[in-house]
Amino acid sequence: MAGTSSATAKPEMIDLTKLSPDQLMQIKQDFEQEMGNIQESLSTLHGCKAKYAGSKEALETFQPDWENRQILVPLTSSMYVPGRVKDLNNFVIDIGTGYYIEKDLEGSKDYFKRRVEYVQEQIEKIEKIHLQKTRFLNSVVGVLEMKQAAAVKMMQAQQQQQQSNQSA
Amino acid sequence: MNMDKNSAALYKKMQTEVESYQNLQKSCVKMVKQRALLEGQLNENKCVLDELSLLGPDNKVFKLFGPVLVKQELEDSRQNVGKRIEYISKELERSTDTLENMEKDMLKHREAVAKYQQQWQVAAAMK
Repeated sequence: MAGTSSATAKPEMIDLTKLSPDQLMQIKQDFEQEMGNIQESLSTLHGCKAKYAGSKEALETFQPDWENRQILVPLTSSMYVPGRVKDLNNFVIDIGTGYYIEKDLEGSKDYFKRRVEYVQEQIEKIEKIHLQKTRFLNSVVGVLEMKQAAAVKMMQAQQQQQQSNQSA
Repeated sequence: MNMDKNSAALYKKMQTEVESYQNLQKSCVKMVKQRALLEGQLNENKCVLDELSLLGPDNKVFKLFGPVLVKQELEDSRQNVGKRIEYISKELERSTDTLENMEKDMLKHREAVAKYQQQWQVAAAMK
Protein backbone atom coordinates (compact mmCIF):
# COMPACT_ATOMS: atom_id res chain seq x y z
CA MET A 1 0.00 0.00 0.00
CA ALA A 2 2.71 2.44 0.98
CA GLY A 3 5.40 0.94 -1.21
CA THR A 4 5.49 3.72 -3.79
CA SER A 5 4.53 6.70 -1.64
CA SER A 6 8.12 7.92 -1.32
CA ALA A 7 8.55 7.85 -5.09
CA THR A 8 5.41 9.88 -5.70
CA ALA A 9 6.07 12.58 -3.13
CA LYS A 10 8.80 14.09 -5.28
CA PRO A 11 7.04 14.91 -8.57
CA GLU A 12 4.81 17.40 -6.81
CA MET A 13 7.82 19.65 -6.36
CA ILE A 14 8.59 19.64 -10.09
CA ASP A 15 7.09 22.20 -12.41
CA LEU A 16 4.83 20.07 -14.56
CA THR A 17 4.96 22.39 -17.53
CA LYS A 18 8.69 21.75 -17.86
CA LEU A 19 8.26 18.01 -18.37
CA SER A 20 8.10 16.43 -21.79
CA PRO A 21 4.82 14.84 -22.93
CA ASP A 22 6.44 11.40 -22.69
CA GLN A 23 7.38 11.99 -19.07
CA LEU A 24 3.91 13.29 -18.34
CA MET A 25 2.38 10.21 -19.93
CA GLN A 26 4.63 8.04 -17.79
CA ILE A 27 3.58 9.89 -14.64
CA LYS A 28 -0.04 9.65 -15.66
CA GLN A 29 0.21 5.91 -16.17
CA ASP A 30 2.02 5.37 -12.87
CA PHE A 31 -0.59 7.40 -11.07
CA GLU A 32 -3.48 5.65 -12.70
CA GLN A 33 -2.06 2.32 -11.59
CA GLU A 34 -1.59 3.61 -8.07
CA MET A 35 -5.12 4.96 -8.01
CA GLY A 36 -6.31 1.51 -9.02
CA ASN A 37 -4.43 0.01 -6.06
CA ILE A 38 -5.90 2.59 -3.71
CA GLN A 39 -9.37 1.93 -5.06
CA GLU A 40 -8.84 -1.78 -4.43
CA SER A 41 -7.70 -1.21 -0.84
CA LEU A 42 -10.68 0.99 -0.26
CA SER A 43 -13.14 -1.63 -1.42
CA THR A 44 -11.39 -4.25 0.74
CA LEU A 45 -11.70 -1.94 3.72
CA HIS A 46 -15.36 -1.31 3.01
CA GLY A 47 -15.87 -5.08 2.88
CA CYS A 48 -14.12 -5.46 6.26
CA LYS A 49 -16.23 -2.73 7.76
CA ALA A 50 -19.41 -4.40 6.53
CA LYS A 51 -18.31 -7.70 8.09
CA TYR A 52 -17.60 -6.13 11.48
CA ALA A 53 -20.82 -4.13 11.34
CA GLY A 54 -22.70 -7.33 10.47
CA SER A 55 -21.30 -9.11 13.53
CA LYS A 56 -22.22 -6.14 15.68
CA GLU A 57 -25.76 -6.14 14.35
CA ALA A 58 -26.10 -9.84 15.02
CA LEU A 59 -25.06 -9.24 18.63
CA GLU A 60 -27.50 -6.38 18.99
CA THR A 61 -30.41 -8.65 18.14
CA PHE A 62 -29.59 -10.76 21.19
CA GLN A 63 -32.13 -10.20 23.95
CA PRO A 64 -31.57 -11.01 27.63
CA ASP A 65 -34.62 -13.32 27.66
CA TRP A 66 -33.24 -15.51 24.92
CA GLU A 67 -32.04 -18.20 27.29
CA ASN A 68 -32.95 -21.61 25.79
CA ARG A 69 -34.43 -19.96 22.76
CA GLN A 70 -34.40 -22.18 19.71
CA ILE A 71 -32.24 -21.01 16.81
CA LEU A 72 -30.98 -22.43 13.54
CA VAL A 73 -27.27 -22.93 13.47
CA PRO A 74 -25.69 -22.73 10.02
CA LEU A 75 -23.53 -25.74 9.20
CA THR A 76 -22.88 -24.45 5.70
CA SER A 77 -24.25 -21.35 4.03
CA SER A 78 -27.28 -23.34 2.88
CA MET A 79 -27.82 -25.97 5.60
CA TYR A 80 -28.93 -25.43 9.18
CA VAL A 81 -29.52 -27.55 12.27
CA PRO A 82 -31.78 -26.55 15.17
CA GLY A 83 -30.05 -25.53 18.38
CA ARG A 84 -30.69 -23.76 21.64
CA VAL A 85 -28.95 -20.77 23.17
CA LYS A 86 -27.33 -22.09 26.35
CA ASP A 87 -25.06 -19.29 27.31
CA LEU A 88 -26.22 -15.77 26.56
CA ASN A 89 -23.33 -13.85 27.91
CA ASN A 90 -20.21 -15.45 26.44
CA PHE A 91 -19.03 -14.93 22.91
CA VAL A 92 -15.77 -16.12 21.38
CA ILE A 93 -14.32 -13.60 18.98
CA ASP A 94 -11.62 -14.12 16.37
CA ILE A 95 -9.19 -11.25 16.89
CA GLY A 96 -6.73 -12.35 14.20
CA THR A 97 -3.53 -14.42 13.84
CA GLY A 98 -5.34 -17.45 15.26
CA TYR A 99 -6.19 -15.89 18.61
CA TYR A 100 -9.73 -16.03 19.94
CA ILE A 101 -11.01 -14.32 23.08
CA GLU A 102 -14.07 -14.86 25.18
CA LYS A 103 -16.08 -11.76 26.05
CA ASP A 104 -19.51 -10.98 27.46
CA LEU A 105 -22.25 -9.42 25.35
CA GLU A 106 -21.35 -5.80 26.13
CA GLY A 107 -17.64 -6.43 25.68
CA SER A 108 -18.24 -8.11 22.33
CA LYS A 109 -20.42 -5.28 21.10
CA ASP A 110 -17.77 -2.85 22.23
CA TYR A 111 -15.12 -4.86 20.37
CA PHE A 112 -17.00 -4.69 17.08
CA LYS A 113 -17.81 -1.04 17.61
CA ARG A 114 -14.13 -0.29 18.04
CA ARG A 115 -13.24 -2.37 14.99
CA VAL A 116 -15.75 -0.54 12.82
CA GLU A 117 -14.37 2.78 14.05
CA TYR A 118 -10.80 1.68 13.37
CA VAL A 119 -11.60 0.59 9.84
CA GLN A 120 -13.52 3.81 9.25
CA GLU A 121 -10.45 5.79 10.31
CA GLN A 122 -8.32 3.87 7.82
CA ILE A 123 -10.90 4.46 5.09
CA GLU A 124 -10.87 8.19 5.77
CA LYS A 125 -7.07 8.29 5.70
CA ILE A 126 -6.95 6.52 2.37
CA GLU A 127 -9.75 8.64 0.94
CA LYS A 128 -7.72 11.73 1.76
CA ILE A 129 -4.72 10.32 -0.10
CA HIS A 130 -7.02 9.34 -2.94
CA LEU A 131 -8.33 12.90 -3.20
CA GLN A 132 -4.81 14.35 -3.25
CA LYS A 133 -3.76 11.95 -5.97
CA THR A 134 -6.87 12.67 -8.01
CA ARG A 135 -6.10 16.38 -7.89
CA PHE A 136 -2.52 15.77 -8.93
CA LEU A 137 -3.55 13.44 -11.72
CA ASN A 138 -6.00 16.06 -12.97
CA SER A 139 -3.27 18.68 -13.11
CA VAL A 140 -1.00 16.26 -14.97
CA VAL A 141 -3.75 15.55 -17.48
CA GLY A 142 -4.41 19.29 -17.80
CA VAL A 143 -0.78 20.08 -18.61
CA LEU A 144 -0.65 17.13 -20.99
CA GLU A 145 -3.69 18.36 -22.88
CA MET A 146 -2.25 21.85 -23.04
CA LYS A 147 0.97 20.49 -24.51
CA GLN A 148 -0.90 18.35 -27.01
CA ALA A 149 -2.98 21.35 -28.12
CA ALA A 150 0.19 23.43 -28.48
CA ALA A 151 1.83 20.66 -30.53
CA VAL A 152 -1.16 20.42 -32.87
CA LYS A 153 -1.17 24.20 -33.34
CA MET A 154 2.52 24.17 -34.15
CA MET A 155 2.06 21.44 -36.72
CA GLN A 156 -0.79 23.30 -38.36
CA ALA A 157 1.29 26.47 -38.49
CA GLN A 158 4.14 24.55 -40.12
CA GLN A 159 1.83 23.05 -42.70
CA GLN A 160 0.39 26.44 -43.56
CA GLN A 161 3.85 27.85 -43.93
CA GLN A 162 4.83 24.99 -46.22
CA GLN A 163 1.74 25.52 -48.31
CA SER A 164 2.31 29.21 -48.62
CA ASN A 165 5.95 28.50 -49.52
CA GLN A 166 4.85 26.09 -52.22
CA SER A 167 2.33 28.48 -53.69
CA ALA A 168 4.80 31.35 -53.64
CA MET B 1 35.19 -5.05 -40.12
CA ASN B 2 37.11 -4.38 -36.98
CA MET B 3 34.55 -1.78 -36.01
CA ASP B 4 31.70 -4.24 -36.42
CA LYS B 5 33.37 -6.70 -34.09
CA ASN B 6 33.86 -3.94 -31.60
CA SER B 7 30.27 -2.80 -31.69
CA ALA B 8 29.02 -6.38 -31.52
CA ALA B 9 31.05 -6.90 -28.34
CA LEU B 10 29.66 -3.68 -26.95
CA TYR B 11 26.16 -4.76 -27.81
CA LYS B 12 26.67 -8.05 -26.03
CA LYS B 13 27.96 -6.32 -22.91
CA MET B 14 25.01 -3.99 -23.00
CA GLN B 15 22.62 -6.86 -23.31
CA THR B 16 24.02 -8.70 -20.29
CA GLU B 17 23.70 -5.49 -18.29
CA VAL B 18 20.10 -5.07 -19.39
CA GLU B 19 19.38 -8.67 -18.50
CA SER B 20 20.80 -8.40 -15.01
CA TYR B 21 18.88 -5.16 -14.58
CA GLN B 22 15.65 -6.85 -15.57
CA ASN B 23 16.34 -9.76 -13.23
CA LEU B 24 16.94 -7.34 -10.40
CA GLN B 25 13.74 -5.55 -11.25
CA LYS B 26 11.83 -8.80 -11.04
CA SER B 27 13.23 -9.73 -7.65
CA CYS B 28 12.59 -6.17 -6.54
CA VAL B 29 8.90 -6.54 -7.34
CA LYS B 30 8.85 -9.83 -5.45
CA MET B 31 10.54 -8.18 -2.48
CA VAL B 32 8.01 -5.33 -2.45
CA LYS B 33 5.17 -7.86 -2.43
CA GLN B 34 6.79 -9.75 0.42
CA ARG B 35 7.19 -6.50 2.31
CA ALA B 36 3.53 -5.67 1.89
CA LEU B 37 2.70 -9.10 3.31
CA LEU B 38 4.99 -8.53 6.29
CA GLU B 39 3.50 -5.11 6.89
CA GLY B 40 0.04 -6.64 6.90
CA GLN B 41 1.10 -9.29 9.39
CA LEU B 42 2.71 -6.69 11.61
CA ASN B 43 -0.47 -4.66 11.58
CA GLU B 44 -2.63 -7.66 12.40
CA ASN B 45 -0.37 -8.67 15.27
CA LYS B 46 -0.41 -5.14 16.64
CA CYS B 47 -4.20 -5.19 16.60
CA VAL B 48 -4.18 -8.52 18.45
CA LEU B 49 -1.77 -7.20 21.05
CA ASP B 50 -3.91 -4.08 21.54
CA GLU B 51 -6.91 -6.29 22.08
CA LEU B 52 -5.07 -8.63 24.45
CA SER B 53 -3.84 -5.70 26.52
CA LEU B 54 -7.45 -4.60 27.02
CA LEU B 55 -8.41 -7.93 28.60
CA GLY B 56 -8.76 -8.59 32.29
CA PRO B 57 -7.77 -11.78 34.14
CA ASP B 58 -11.29 -13.24 33.86
CA ASN B 59 -11.33 -13.15 30.05
CA LYS B 60 -10.44 -16.44 28.42
CA VAL B 61 -8.03 -16.57 25.51
CA PHE B 62 -7.89 -19.33 22.92
CA LYS B 63 -5.51 -20.11 20.12
CA LEU B 64 -6.51 -21.93 16.98
CA PHE B 65 -4.36 -24.98 16.24
CA GLY B 66 -5.66 -26.60 13.10
CA PRO B 67 -9.36 -27.11 13.75
CA VAL B 68 -9.24 -26.90 17.57
CA LEU B 69 -9.24 -23.98 19.94
CA VAL B 70 -6.78 -24.41 22.78
CA LYS B 71 -7.08 -22.36 25.92
CA GLN B 72 -4.12 -20.06 26.53
CA GLU B 73 -2.82 -18.10 29.47
CA LEU B 74 -3.32 -14.38 28.86
CA GLU B 75 0.24 -13.52 29.86
CA ASP B 76 1.69 -16.22 27.58
CA SER B 77 -0.35 -14.99 24.64
CA ARG B 78 0.77 -11.44 25.21
CA GLN B 79 4.39 -12.51 25.28
CA ASN B 80 3.98 -14.67 22.18
CA VAL B 81 2.38 -11.91 20.18
CA GLY B 82 5.01 -9.47 21.43
CA LYS B 83 7.76 -11.82 20.26
CA ARG B 84 6.08 -12.24 16.91
CA ILE B 85 5.89 -8.49 16.46
CA GLU B 86 9.59 -8.25 17.27
CA TYR B 87 10.43 -10.97 14.77
CA ILE B 88 8.31 -9.44 12.00
CA SER B 89 9.77 -5.99 12.65
CA LYS B 90 13.26 -7.45 12.23
CA GLU B 91 12.25 -9.18 9.01
CA LEU B 92 10.80 -5.92 7.78
CA GLU B 93 14.03 -4.08 8.52
CA ARG B 94 16.00 -6.75 6.73
CA SER B 95 13.81 -6.55 3.66
CA THR B 96 14.14 -2.75 3.67
CA ASP B 97 17.91 -3.13 3.63
CA THR B 98 17.83 -5.67 0.81
CA LEU B 99 15.50 -3.45 -1.14
CA GLU B 100 17.81 -0.48 -0.75
CA ASN B 101 20.78 -2.55 -1.91
CA MET B 102 18.80 -3.79 -4.87
CA GLU B 103 17.93 -0.25 -5.84
CA LYS B 104 21.58 0.74 -5.66
CA ASP B 105 22.55 -2.23 -7.84
CA MET B 106 19.81 -1.37 -10.28
CA LEU B 107 21.12 2.16 -10.56
CA LYS B 108 24.62 0.80 -11.26
CA HIS B 109 23.34 -1.41 -14.04
CA ARG B 110 21.32 1.42 -15.48
CA GLU B 111 24.37 3.64 -15.56
CA ALA B 112 26.41 0.87 -17.19
CA VAL B 113 23.75 0.45 -19.86
CA ALA B 114 23.73 4.17 -20.54
CA LYS B 115 27.53 4.16 -20.83
CA TYR B 116 27.58 1.23 -23.27
CA GLN B 117 24.79 2.83 -25.25
CA GLN B 118 26.80 5.99 -25.61
CA GLN B 119 29.93 4.09 -26.65
CA TRP B 120 27.90 2.15 -29.13
CA GLN B 121 26.44 5.29 -30.64
CA VAL B 122 29.88 6.86 -30.88
CA ALA B 123 31.18 3.70 -32.58
CA ALA B 124 28.21 3.71 -34.97
CA ALA B 125 28.72 7.37 -35.82
CA MET B 126 32.40 6.81 -36.64
CA LYS B 127 31.58 4.11 -39.17
